[in-house]
Amino acid sequence: MENVIYLLQGFETALSGWNLLYCFIGVVFGMLVGVLPGIGPTAGTALLLPLTFAMEPVSAIIMLAGIYYGAMYGGTITSVLINTPGEAASVITCLDGYPLAQQGRAGAALGVAGIGSFIGGLITILALAFLGPPLAKIALNFGPPEFFALILLGMTLLSSLMGKSLIRGIMAAVFGLILALVGPDPLTGTIRFAFGQTNLAGGIDIVALCLGLFGMSELFISAETNINGQKPMKVKGVLPKREEWKPTFKAIGRGTGIGGVLGFIPGSGTVIPTLLSYSLEKKLAKDPSRFGKGALEGVAGPEAANNAYCGSALIPLFTLGIPGSAVMAILFGAFVMHGLTPGPLLFQNEPNVVWGVIASMFIGNFLLVLMNVPLAGVWAKITTVPFKLLFPIIMIVAVVGVYSVNNSLFDVGTMMVFGFIGYFFKKAEFPLAPIILTFVLGSFLETSLGQSLTIFDGNFFAFFTRPISGTVLVFCILVIGLSAYAGLKNKKSVMEDSEM
Amino acid sequence: MKNVGVYIGIFMLIFSGSIFWQSLSLEYYRASAPGPGFLSLWLSGILFILSLIHIIISVKKDIILFSDILPKGKGLGNVVALLLSLILFLIIIPYIGFTIASIVMLFILFKRGYKWYWSLGLSTFVTLVVFVVFNTLLQVPLPVNNFGF
Repeated sequence: MENVIYLLQGFETALSGWNLLYCFIGVVFGMLVGVLPGIGPTAGTALLLPLTFAMEPVSAIIMLAGIYYGAMYGGTITSVLINTPGEAASVITCLDGYPLAQQGRAGAALGVAGIGSFIGGLITILALAFLGPPLAKIALNFGPPEFFALILLGMTLLSSLMGKSLIRGIMAAVFGLILALVGPDPLTGTIRFAFGQTNLAGGIDIVALCLGLFGMSELFISAETNINGQKPMKVKGVLPKREEWKPTFKAIGRGTGIGGVLGFIPGSGTVIPTLLSYSLEKKLAKDPSRFGKGALEGVAGPEAANNAYCGSALIPLFTLGIPGSAVMAILFGAFVMHGLTPGPLLFQNEPNVVWGVIASMFIGNFLLVLMNVPLAGVWAKITTVPFKLLFPIIMIVAVVGVYSVNNSLFDVGTMMVFGFIGYFFKKAEFPLAPIILTFVLGSFLETSLGQSLTIFDGNFFAFFTRPISGTVLVFCILVIGLSAYAGLKNKKSVMEDSEM
Repeated sequence: MKNVGVYIGIFMLIFSGSIFWQSLSLEYYRASAPGPGFLSLWLSGILFILSLIHIIISVKKDIILFSDILPKGKGLGNVVALLLSLILFLIIIPYIGFTIASIVMLFILFKRGYKWYWSLGLSTFVTLVVFVVFNTLLQVPLPVNNFGF
């Protein structure tokens, strides 16, 4: 009951004039990011991050969260209408969405995708509203050793699950952690690794790093492919046939379950839930041969899964302060930039922000389904805008955005350097998400490690004497061990295949 | 040597090596808690070892060549233009102010896809919109020249 009252208060915050406008801007920008190939939700969130600097914290988070879930809706439109996913989570939607569009059923595909996304998103936001506070209460009992272990688990999962190589994942994570150490030591204030640069004395700016690694690098990659505008298919009749409703709703239910559960696991990403949902639908279908040729369940399930994932991924961020993906890490950075610390105390200390954001997500999802289903054709026309017109504009907005945070050209240079690093890292298949995750969690990890070792008199093995931290650390070791084993096994089978 | 993995490994090796070297001059442990050099020493040490392993793997098994990953033709031109225009922007902005530096940068980028007069018009228009939005509306003190733009 208490949560319902808080949620109603959240609606009061979210519906207040400016916040409603920021929610609208966030979801519209998210839709744009999703519709336009070449700029993903991570880059889009990073791009708007500096513009939130002067805003109220609640407005800033409402807008940035809107980009994230808005992009999931937008990506579907291009997948269905031009067979080009606007972001990674919509790749699987192309498989059946585009064949449906070719059969003149683009409207039905977009309709079920919109309904699926809405239901998936809504159920997991409800889960966040009702599971978040009790989880946060449990987490309040955690001490520094437990937090150290949990942060390490988040980093381990992300490094192990993302990318193709464990070693590159761990290298990326350690690289990000070292970058986080630049600047003052959290316990003593000693300036480290500034190399005589006064601009580095306060540490590397998170906006410059995010925009460089995700925004600039994506811009470099998009610029080399010369994406041109494509003419989308026409949209007619957005509702499925009567007999299609039942299997569609079942697929949405299953997709929501898959996305909701996987959202808790850092590093699982939005692609895995959609893939799992698609394979499950194909396995459960009476006629699996329909898949790939225009099965509505093949659109509804994965779309519900990726939106459910987005809502669910906020639960570990809000309750434990553990971001599970690059976008979540940028949102974490936005919280920190606005003087807030995501984690168990957030529900207690900043109920206005937390419940305002949760309520805004209900409103945002509602706005998105309204914009997505009837106006899909209009959104699709945006894809006809040539990229040669867009990329210089994105570039100057990124440059001025990063400059505006500290009024510093040094930050623009930092963004450029990390853009270049991110470009080559992407090319060499180094995952970028662990860098940003460990960067934002670095000082928390260092502080909790320092506090824990003080409690344990410097004995690191004492972590294993506490049930929660011990279990979590054993789990971390298991994850690394299993990832290494899986990597070696894969290589062996690849070598055997090539010998054959 | 045209192996990207090796170059990234060397970059990480130099980066971790320099952090390790600096960490040695920081306090490792204080009376009751780790010092400012504790975590950095361990992390840079780990990264140094991982970088060495990565170089070995890149040479022996996981070979990624520059020619496989770098774009060719116009694509490469676009990437180089992006990078060079940004470097040029950073060099000239303290002397000629935001507006002209931005027009120059955007002109280089638009010129890749449009005729010169369209490029000039677009770069001037975009710059003016950005200047008005950020400098006037959002009150971001963009670097300006003696004439105030």
